[in-house]
Amino acid sequence: MAEDKKYTTVSIPTPLFEKIQKKIEGTGFTSVSDYVTFILREILAHSNDQEAFTEEDEKRVKERLKSLGYLD
Amino acid sequence: MNKLLVIGLDCAAPSIMFDKLADQLPNISKMREDGVWGKLRSCDPPITVPAWMVMATGRTPGELGLYGFRSREGNSYNKIKIPTSRDVKYDTIWDIIGKRNKRSIVIAVPPSYPPRPITGILVTDFLTPGKDKEFTYPPGLKNDILAKYPDYEFDVKFRKPEKEKIIDEIYKMTETRFRMALDFMRNKPWDLFFFVEIGIDRIHHAFWRYIDEKHHLYENNPLMREKFVNYFKMVDRYVGEMVEQVDEDTLVMIVSDHGAKGMKGAFAINEWLIKEGYLKLKSNSIKPGSSLDEVEVDWENTKAWAWGGYYARVFLNIKGREEKGVIDPQDVRKEIEILKEKLKSIKGPNGETWDTKVFEPEEKYDVVNGDRSDLFVYFDDLNWRAAGTLGYETMYLLENDTGPDDAVHDYDGIYVLYRKGKKVGKIFNETIYNVMPTMLDVFSVRKITGLKGKVMEGMRYVK
Repeated sequence: MAEDKKYTTVSIPTPLFEKIQKKIEGTGFTSVSDYVTFILREILAHSNDQEAFTEEDEKRVKERLKSLGYLD
Repeated sequence: MNKLLVIGLDCAAPSIMFDKLADQLPNISKMREDGVWGKLRSCDPPITVPAWMVMATGRTPGELGLYGFRSREGNSYNKIKIPTSRDVKYDTIWDIIGKRNKRSIVIAVPPSYPPRPITGILVTDFLTPGKDKEFTYPPGLKNDILAKYPDYEFDVKFRKPEKEKIIDEIYKMTETRFRMALDFMRNKPWDLFFFVEIGIDRIHHAFWRYIDEKHHLYENNPLMREKFVNYFKMVDRYVGEMVEQVDEDTLVMIVSDHGAKGMKGAFAINEWLIKEGYLKLKSNSIKPGSSLDEVEVDWENTKAWAWGGYYARVFLNIKGREEKGVIDPQDVRKEIEILKEKLKSIKGPNGETWDTKVFEPEEKYDVVNGDRSDLFVYFDDLNWRAAGTLGYETMYLLENDTGPDDAVHDYDGIYVLYRKGKKVGKIFNETIYNVMPTMLDVFSVRKITGLKGKVMEGMRYVK
């Protein structure tokens, strides 16, 4: 659980930082970090290089679906 | 009108919401009186996955390649995949308006795990493995939720003998989700609020016998009946509280993904396929309730097998497609037609005629993506669910083979369109495909190419 709170720093060029800062004005993104995180997650989500479920996750979901009568 | 509140009540049925309990649901009934309402025909199959995503994308199950809670992988005999957010390849309403800088709050729309980034915030659905996983976007939101709502649950787990305990758990789950939703509504910015509560579905499946005198398992149990009714009253109270938060510029939409009706029984489809010579096992002594995975199938001599659920999915064993396929590709058409007729002519336990619907995915959808079954079967117009398990002395089971089940799915769900300050009071029946064009209309997004639905009739009156 403690791991969820861990953040780390990455470096980006200052002009890029400033460009993003300008771009997110009035958009609801509260910081450049928010925006950059959003973009990176978006790209990672679409690259599909990770399985959505680990084997253990899938087992948990299947068990629940079985108890609900959705799987035989 | 530039904001939209969608209150999704999974499995809410016209017979309960508009009829049986209507006078006990003051908020929803008032919204109907002043708004526009009616039946909402679900997709085929009328199942939670894909129905919510059909609503949220406007795409057919065929386009989405999602036909239920499992998908077959790679034409295999037993490799299955549980659908996730990654399987949704079309833009949802929140993706589309997010690109226009409109913020969404999305809660529990299946399948939305793992959480994908959106403009706004998202909490994943009941297909989330557990609270230890990342279940929100942005990720930090999870900690806030668990700190404030430590009892937050994605779903309940059914254990047959403890019915009273389960209903209390459903109450608690629903209440916590509504409280969290209300908190988000009040304290976070949004243009679209899309919320799904799964509890009604669970209540229907496990407790329908207490409110349906015609049910073959009907139990006259005043306490359970009261609990059933009070659950809906609670949902109505929370719906009322949510609607209190919005202004005249917000359209409120109550929707359900499918309806429900009393289950008459479960038909053991694989037992039937054995009897008809389509499915061959290597052993004759089978423990009752065994799944196909637990027995040895003689694939070299098997022409077809099936999956159970609220509808049956029948797969043919085709040469060149399945590993040990036996049906020649040129014979597939003939075999399908014969099997269709045989399935349609199955009679009930007392020889009564059934209204069984059998179709190929291509008959329902223009595009058929993903690893779909060859046939979809609705036994007796969905009144009988399908049991995929084996080892029974009869093909007609009075109870579900895998879990508690008093109810099956029905084609028609519900919808209500309501806007403060408008007095309309009209009834139109709609289809689930009209939800997306209607939502797009609220945000003045020109219809997206390829959507088969249209803006709901009632929008003329609430606009």
